[in-house]
Amino acid sequence: MSGFSRRWFLHASGLAFLALGVRRLAALGAPRPRDDVPWKVQQVLKQLFGDRPVQDGHVQLDVPTVAADGRVVPVMIESDLPMAAERYVKAVHLLVDNNPDIHLAEFRLTPQIGQAFVSTRIKMRMTSPIRAIVETSDGALWGAAADVRVTVNGCG
Amino acid sequence: MTIEVGAARVLVPTGIRRGDVIDVRALVEQPMATGLFRDARGNPIPAYFINDVSVTYGDREVAHFVWSSGISRDPFVEFSLRADREAALKFVWKDNKGGVFQQSVDIKFIT
Repeated sequence: MSGFSRRWFLHASGLAFLALGVRRLAALGAPRPRDDVPWKVQQVLKQLFGDRPVQDGHVQLDVPTVAADGRVVPVMIESDLPMAAERYVKAVHLLVDNNPDIHLAEFRLTPQIGQAFVSTRIKMRMTSPIRAIVETSDGALWGAAADVRVTVNGCG
Repeated sequence: MTIEVGAARVLVPTGIRRGDVIDVRALVEQPMATGLFRDARGNPIPAYFINDVSVTYGDREVAHFVWSSGISRDPFVEFSLRADREAALKFVWKDNKGGVFQQSVDIKFIT
C-alpha cells in the first residue's frame, strides 16, 4: 500500500477545507479595506475633508440591521472622544451610500455639548451602508460604518 | 395625516443639577418633502424640508445642524448638553422656502 491511501486523502482534504474556513473567518473579522468605499462616496468624502484620512474607531454607530420602513430609520452616533475646550468633537457627519443625497446631515457641536452623542431618524432609499464620521477640533477624522437592509423605499 | 407645520417641542429632563450632562430632545412638525415623490395625481411634490437648525443656550450658539431632505418627516433630534448655567435653550429651525420656526425651554436647576 502506498502513502496515498484513501485515509490519507480524507485527512488531507479535511485539513485543506479547514484551512479555507479559517481564512474565511479571518477575512470576516478584518476591517473593511479602504477601496471598499464606492467612488461616488469617495467624491463626497474628498469634497468634505480633502485628502485627510478617516480612521476606524472612537465612533459607535447604532442602526438596525433590518429597517422595515425606509422612511424612518433610527440612527444613533456616539463617540468617546473628549468634549473639552481645548479638544472637542467639532462635527458629526452622516453619510448614506445609496441615497440620492449621500451627505445626509452634519451636526456641528461645541464643548458645551458635554458628550459627543447625536440621535435622529433618517430616510433610506434602499439597502445601503451608513457611515458616521466624527471630526475633532484638531482636524482628526474618525469613522464607523454599518449595513442596513431596507425593505420599503423612503426617498421616492 | 395632516400636520401643523412648525409646531415644535423641546424636551429636557426634570430635576437638573448644575454641571449635569442632560439629554435634549427636539421635534418640529414638517413634511420633509424630498421633491422626488409624486402625489396621487402624478404631480411632483416640491421639495420642502428643514435644512438648518440652530441651538442657542443663553447667548451662545452651542450646536448647529445642517440637514438634507434625508432626515425623516417631523424631524427629531436628540443630543447632550452640559447644563452649567440657568438660561434659555432656544431652537431655530429654517426650511428651504424661508420658513423659520422656533421653540425654547428654560434650563432651571433644582435646589
